[in-house]
Amino acid sequence: MTALVVRRLLRLVVVCVGVSLVAFSILQVSGDPVSLMLPEAPDSDRDVLRQAMGFNDPVVVQFVRFVGNAFRGDFGKSFFHRTPALPLVLERMPTTLTLTVLAMALALAVALPVGIYSAVRRDSVVDHAATAVVFLGQSMPVFWTGIMLILLFAVQWRLLPVSGWNDWSSLVLPTITLGTFSAPLLLRIVRSSMLEVINLDYVRTARAKGLSEWFVICRHALVNAALPLVTVTGLQFGLLLGGAVITETVFAVPGVGRLIVNAIRQLDFPVVQAAVFVLAMIIVLVNFAVDMLYVYLNPQIRVR
Amino acid sequence: MTRLRTLALTLAILVALALPVLAQPKDTLVVGLASIIDTLDPHMHFQRVGILVNINMFDSLLHKTTRLEYEPSLAVSWKSVTDTVWEFKLRQGVKFHTGDTMTAEDVKYSFDRVIDPKKKSPQYGNVRAIKEVKIVAPDTVQLITDAPYPLLLERLVFFPIVPRKHVEKVGDQTFGESAAVGTGPWKLAEYKRDQHIKLEAFDGHWRGKPAFRYLVFRSIPEVATQVAELKTGGVDIIRNVLADLVPELKSHPQTYVTSTPILRTHYVMLDMRQAPFDKKAVRQAANYAIDREVIVQKMMGGLGRVVPTVVHPAAFGYDPSVTPYPYDPKKAKELLAQAGYPNGMDITLHSAFIEFRPVFEALAQMLTEVGIRTSPKMWDPGPAYNKFFQGEGKATHGAYGSWGYYSVFDADAILHPLYHTEPGGWIGKWYARVEGLDPLIDQARSTVDQAARKRTYSQIIRVIKEEAPSIFLFHQFDTLGISKKVDYAARGDEWLWLFDAKPKR
Repeated sequence: MTALVVRRLLRLVVVCVGVSLVAFSILQVSGDPVSLMLPEAPDSDRDVLRQAMGFNDPVVVQFVRFVGNAFRGDFGKSFFHRTPALPLVLERMPTTLTLTVLAMALALAVALPVGIYSAVRRDSVVDHAATAVVFLGQSMPVFWTGIMLILLFAVQWRLLPVSGWNDWSSLVLPTITLGTFSAPLLLRIVRSSMLEVINLDYVRTARAKGLSEWFVICRHALVNAALPLVTVTGLQFGLLLGGAVITETVFAVPGVGRLIVNAIRQLDFPVVQAAVFVLAMIIVLVNFAVDMLYVYLNPQIRVR
Repeated sequence: MTRLRTLALTLAILVALALPVLAQPKDTLVVGLASIIDTLDPHMHFQRVGILVNINMFDSLLHKTTRLEYEPSLAVSWKSVTDTVWEFKLRQGVKFHTGDTMTAEDVKYSFDRVIDPKKKSPQYGNVRAIKEVKIVAPDTVQLITDAPYPLLLERLVFFPIVPRKHVEKVGDQTFGESAAVGTGPWKLAEYKRDQHIKLEAFDGHWRGKPAFRYLVFRSIPEVATQVAELKTGGVDIIRNVLADLVPELKSHPQTYVTSTPILRTHYVMLDMRQAPFDKKAVRQAANYAIDREVIVQKMMGGLGRVVPTVVHPAAFGYDPSVTPYPYDPKKAKELLAQAGYPNGMDITLHSAFIEFRPVFEALAQMLTEVGIRTSPKMWDPGPAYNKFFQGEGKATHGAYGSWGYYSVFDADAILHPLYHTEPGGWIGKWYARVEGLDPLIDQARSTVDQAARKRTYSQIIRVIKEEAPSIFLFHQFDTLGISKKVDYAARGDEWLWLFDAKPKR
């Protein structure tokens, strides 16, 4: 067990280094921020700035400096906000995480009961309806869902605010938008993994013992069916963070996603690097947690 | 009973949800912007979205009326003493938002902090011609330029005066982030990065009270969301309404559209340093190939007007006797054959002008039809800067773009950046090579004799029409979508001067 945890932690470090390499090199090839910072200055002025920013050093030197600083939490100052990059990212993180977690919770709250019900009552009306909704939900791009929800709930019915991030009412539409993106896949996973276990012998045995159907489903079938669900939920978390970028843009939510989009537009290296790094770390940690949960749920892994 | 309670609860929730929408106070004017500026310091950026906020918080020496004529602001009168010395009488008793009275010291300090290269103000280039600011009396300052500088007054229309004592006390960084203070009609109330800037009317403003007590600039990046907010009353004004949205906002019961010609002029820069555009006949052929009226009517929804060259009809120096290239594909083919391209040629044009992609593609199609077979390449604005203007100016053959004149109504404001080849010629350095043009541009910008300048610009306009260093296109309109609760008209300088906005009853 300890060995397993250590192995996973080691893998985490490798991923960290990989992430910083990717974050560093993508931006290296994408252009020269100095020309954006001083658009109308003569070349001599630009050279001074380039020198001061260290862009003239060999790429390897720049990378080593980047990794060294990154581990101290120093990604440099944003070229445009003129303040340290990491706090800029961190101060927007709660907004993005709130949106992501709410959307995840909503997706699970829909996917679990409907998925279980579809599996238990296979080929029922509910099952077919759910399948149809899954297809629909998976086919709708996030920005389209968002704009449609705005048009219906905000413009047509005047029930919710169009955009912004103020009181709880402004969280409703972004959450539904992002949740809609995630729920269909989760629902499908719940349904199919429930179907797999529901006809196995041990479930029949449980039923034969005279246990209530409710207890059989939840205590025996679901726990075993949960393994793929946990994996997919972990993976979905990363996808949702990505989807949050679009959702934040549509609903004018001041989160990390919009910060990244703007930073990329302006070739604001430090902010992009800090944001990519922090998001990657969150995904890595979530996956680590999923691994651990997996171990807890599936005793076989502990033994191996 | 339970069911009744559920019903009541549901209703209560719905009502609570609806309340924030209904409770829109009438004393607040909300403007939706695509983004919110990173600093409120009016001297430390050159972004339009920042200027629009700044002008409502700060005053400059001069102001422009809705007809774009000079009007006294912090200066009550001005005159030129010599070719290089301008004198300004300052308005007396003007208060900053802190309560301090504005003095000549503050005026001098404001210029000094931009002219000082150590402060690295992006606006340095706009006023670097000013050599010295001299206080000659408590209410009089002189601006001394290093050479005759005909654009001086234009540059002073957006040159905010900041309070010296206050800025020195809080420091530049804090001033821009949280303590911006000016003499304008509104003062800073709340600044939430990426979200909104809230301003509150300043009771001591010399013009009197603005019609709206609060002014809110909200950041809404997505156009569809801006439109939805406008229709539901969440915002009162949105900018840059594209042609395809105009009919929708015109017919909606809560909104109207106001549109006016602006300086922003579209063009395709041609790379004159290499084939095929090193030949004048090919450049002229490209100009004959474009049906400008069709583009303006069909792709711009009529929200534009064809210009003969890049010099705008509203800019000083415009010569109405020069007419646009007509649409003449036959003539274009003849010119190509003359230039040694009877079978045409393949070229690539670049653009980062995302909103106007359809125009770009139509241009490429029209060029292709006469034999200049064009592949249009679209770029993201970030990497594009590098591609177009770095190193060798790698956008081979040409680039489609626009120039907004910095809201300066003078031919120099576009001729110098586009066609002057020395460093400082911002785009021209990479593309234009018109013989004899540099000295003409220099000549026109270094005298204050307006009649002589006008003659020189006439000459320049004739030269560039003949030499065709660009494909000349059209200038666009600024189009605002506005709530019917608010009375306001778009201005020719793209300003949102909201002191003029009034509630409509």
